[in-house]
Amino acid sequence: MENEKFEPKIVAFVCNWCTYTGADLAGTSRLKQQTNARLIRVPCTGRIDPVFIIKAFEKGADGVLVSGCHPNDCHYNTGNFHARRRWIFFRQLLDFVGIDSSRLYFSWVSASEGKKWVDVVDGVINSVRKKGRFNGYKRLNKETEIPVSAVDKL
Amino acid sequence: MNNYVLSKDQINKLTQELLTSDYKVISSSKDGRRFVAISSADDLMINSNQKPSAVSMKEFFFPKTETLFFYKRNKDEYDLIDAIEENQLQIIFGAKPCDTSAIPIVSKVFNWDYKDVFFNKKVENTIIIGLTCNFIDENCFCTSVGLSPISEKGSDLFLIPIDENKFACKVVTEKGEKFVSSHSNIFTQTIDEQSINTNDIKIPEKRFEPKEVKEWLDKNFNHSLWDELGENCLGCAQCAFACPTCHCFDIVDEECNHTCGRRAKNWDACQFEIFTKHASGHNPRNEQDKRYRQRISHKFKYYADKFDEILCTGCGRCTRGCPVFTDIGIILEDINQLAKESISNN
Amino acid sequence: MKQLIDISKELFESKKVAYIIGYAEDKFKRVKPFVAHSSLDAETFVFNNYSVNNLSVYLTRLPKPKDGKIGIVAKGCDIKSIIALIQENQIKRDDVIIIGVNCNSVVNQIDEQFSKENTAIKCKYCQVRTPAHYDYLVGEIKEVELPEDKNFAIMQKLDSMSAEEKWNFWEAEFEKCVKCYACRQVCPLCYCEQCIVDKSMPRWIDSSATTKGNFAWNMIRAFHLSGRCIGCNECERACPADIPLSLLNRKMGMVAMNEFNYRHGTDINQPTLIGNYNVNDKEDFIM
Repeated sequence: MENEKFEPKIVAFVCNWCTYTGADLAGTSRLKQQTNARLIRVPCTGRIDPVFIIKAFEKGADGVLVSGCHPNDCHYNTGNFHARRRWIFFRQLLDFVGIDSSRLYFSWVSASEGKKWVDVVDGVINSVRKKGRFNGYKRLNKETEIPVSAVDKL
Repeated sequence: MNNYVLSKDQINKLTQELLTSDYKVISSSKDGRRFVAISSADDLMINSNQKPSAVSMKEFFFPKTETLFFYKRNKDEYDLIDAIEENQLQIIFGAKPCDTSAIPIVSKVFNWDYKDVFFNKKVENTIIIGLTCNFIDENCFCTSVGLSPISEKGSDLFLIPIDENKFACKVVTEKGEKFVSSHSNIFTQTIDEQSINTNDIKIPEKRFEPKEVKEWLDKNFNHSLWDELGENCLGCAQCAFACPTCHCFDIVDEECNHTCGRRAKNWDACQFEIFTKHASGHNPRNEQDKRYRQRISHKFKYYADKFDEILCTGCGRCTRGCPVFTDIGIILEDINQLAKESISNN
Repeated sequence: MKQLIDISKELFESKKVAYIIGYAEDKFKRVKPFVAHSSLDAETFVFNNYSVNNLSVYLTRLPKPKDGKIGIVAKGCDIKSIIALIQENQIKRDDVIIIGVNCNSVVNQIDEQFSKENTAIKCKYCQVRTPAHYDYLVGEIKEVELPEDKNFAIMQKLDSMSAEEKWNFWEAEFEKCVKCYACRQVCPLCYCEQCIVDKSMPRWIDSSATTKGNFAWNMIRAFHLSGRCIGCNECERACPADIPLSLLNRKMGMVAMNEFNYRHGTDINQPTLIGNYNVNDKEDFIM
C-alpha cells in the first residue's frame, strides 16, 4: 500500500456556458493536464446547493472544485452572484464543523480561458495531493458499507 | 424460583465480570437522559428515584437504523448479502417497569403475521434487570394502563431496594434463572418472598379507565376534540421516537455507490406528514388532527382490538419532551370524562 | 394579564381577528401554546417567565382565515421571526395583528423553577425586551438578572480546536441524532412544503439515522438557515438527543453579522441576505 502513490480524486462542478466550454477548449487545443478531476456539468453555479458538495465528500472526493462564469458574464445574469454569497457562508460552516474548507476551491473560468482551466485544475490537484487523502468520512461510511467478511463469502 | 439479596458491592463485581466477558452492559447515562453501553463499573447507574430518560431503551432491540441486507451488482444481476448476524449478548440494568413492559407488548406485533428475526434475536440475547420505581410526576400514569411501580412484566430479574446498600433480586423468568446459575458466585444470599417489603413504594392513583377510553374511541372518529388537538401539535415525532412502545418503521434502499448498497429499516412515525402519502400524491391523513387521532387510536383502540394490549406504558416521555407541551395523560382523562358524560346521557 | 386579555377580547368582539395564537396554562400549570377562537377562549391567556414557545411557527402551519386577521401574542425574539416571515413574503404585515409583550426573560429548564441560573442563554443578549414592532404592547418591564453565557466558552474552545478535533466533537454529537425532525418542525423559518430531506428522487440526504446522514442533515439545515435564523433556539430546546444546535446557528448568525453587517428579522423592509447579492461581495477565496 505504501508504494502506491496517493492520487487525489477531485470532483468539479462546472457551469455549462463558461467553464465547461473553457474545459472543452482546453481539450480541443490539446493542452496537457492531469486527469484526476471528474466534471459534473450544471447549467449555472447558482444551481449548486451545498448539499452537492457534501455528497461529493461523502462519496470519497478528496477535494471539490466549483467553477463558473466571471461576475457580470453569467448566462442567466445573476446566478453566479447568488452562488458567491452562499459560498461565503458555506466555507465557514465547513470550517466550523471540522471539514477543512481549503479542500473546497472556487474559480471563475470563462469559455475562452482554456489555458486558465488547465492551470486551475492542475493547481487544485497538486494542492490536494499535498494535503493527502480526506479521511473524515472513512469512519462514517463503514456504518453502511458491506462488511469485508461478508464480501469474502460471495 | 429463588429470590436473592444483592449488595451494591456484589452488583459492582457482577458488572465488572460482565464487562470482561461477552456482554454489552447497558444502564442509564450519568445525566439520566439516555440509555448507554457502559465501559466501566463506575458508570453503572441504578436509581429508583430517577426520572425516566428522554429516549427509551428500545434502541437496543429495535435500532434507529438497521441493515436488513446488502446488495451488490453482479453483471446483470444482484447478489443479496445478509447483514452480519449479531449475536451480541446484552444486559440492561435498572430499567423501570414502564420500560421493561414495553418489550412483551411490542413483541406481539413483531411476531404477528411475520416474525421479525432482528427484534426476536436481540430480545433472546438480552437479560433485562428491572427496578422498582420511586419517581412519580404529573406526566406518568403507569397504573392507568395496567402497570405499577412494582410490576415485573418484561423483566428477567427484578430489583427491589431494601436499604441504601442492598437490593432484593426476584427471579422472574427461566432466562433469569439460567443467568443466576451461571453467576452463582454473586447470587449467594437468598431471601424469602414474604420478607421482601414493597409497602413503602408509592403506588399512584389511576387517572383514567382504558376500557371506557376505548369505548369512546370506538364511536367518536369524527369528534371535534381531534381538531383542537391537531391545532397545537407540530408533527415533530419526538413523542414517537422517545416512546418505548412506538414501533412503526420505514424500509429504504440506500446506495453506497452505483454497484452496491443496503436495505435498511428505520424508525418512522405516524406524525410525519409524508407517513401516509401515496405514490399518487393523495394523503389520507393530510392534516395534523387526523394524524394525532391516529396516534391515540392506535395506542388505545386498534392495538387493543388486535392484541388485547394497550400500546402505552404510561412513562410520560412524550409529554416531558413535547415542544408544545401536549399532555397525553390530560387528553386521556378528558376523553374518559367525555365517555362518562355520553354514558350518562344515554 | 388583564391588559392582554382585554385587548384580545376587544379584537374578537370587533371581529378584527379570526383567531389569536397565545399562551394558556393546562391543569398542571404548564404554559403552552393555545389558539383562541373566541372571547371566551381569550380569557385563559397568560404570559410569564415560562412562556418559552415561539408562536410564530403557527403562522405558516395553521390554515389562513377567510375573514379577519390572525392575532399573535409575541415576545421580542418571536417578533423577529414574524418580521423574518414578512421579509420572505410568507405572510403579509396586514394579515397579522401583533400583540407584543414586554418580556422579563424566560426559563431554560422548563420543569424547574425560574431563576438566574435557570434562564435561557439567548436572554443574556436580548435587545428587544420591549419588542421593536407591534400593534399593541402589554406587560411591564422589570429588572432581570442576566444568566451566564455557557455557550460562549464552548464556541471559543471550538474555534481553537484543530479540524480533526472539531470533527470528532460534532461526530459525537450527531451520532445521538435520531432524525425526528423536531428541530425542523418547531422552527418558524423551516416552512418549505417539501423539505430537501424528504426528497427521495434523488436522495440527497439519507433518511436513515446513520452518523453520516445526520451530519448531512444538520449541516444542510444550518446552511439553509444561514442569514435567516433569528436565534430563538427552539430547535435546541425541542431536540430529544440534547444536540447543541444553537452553536451551529449562532455561528452562521455571526458570519452574517461579520461579513455583511446583517441581522434577519429587524427591518421589515430590508431585502433578505441570502436571497440577494451585491456586485461587490468579497471574492478573495475565488481563483
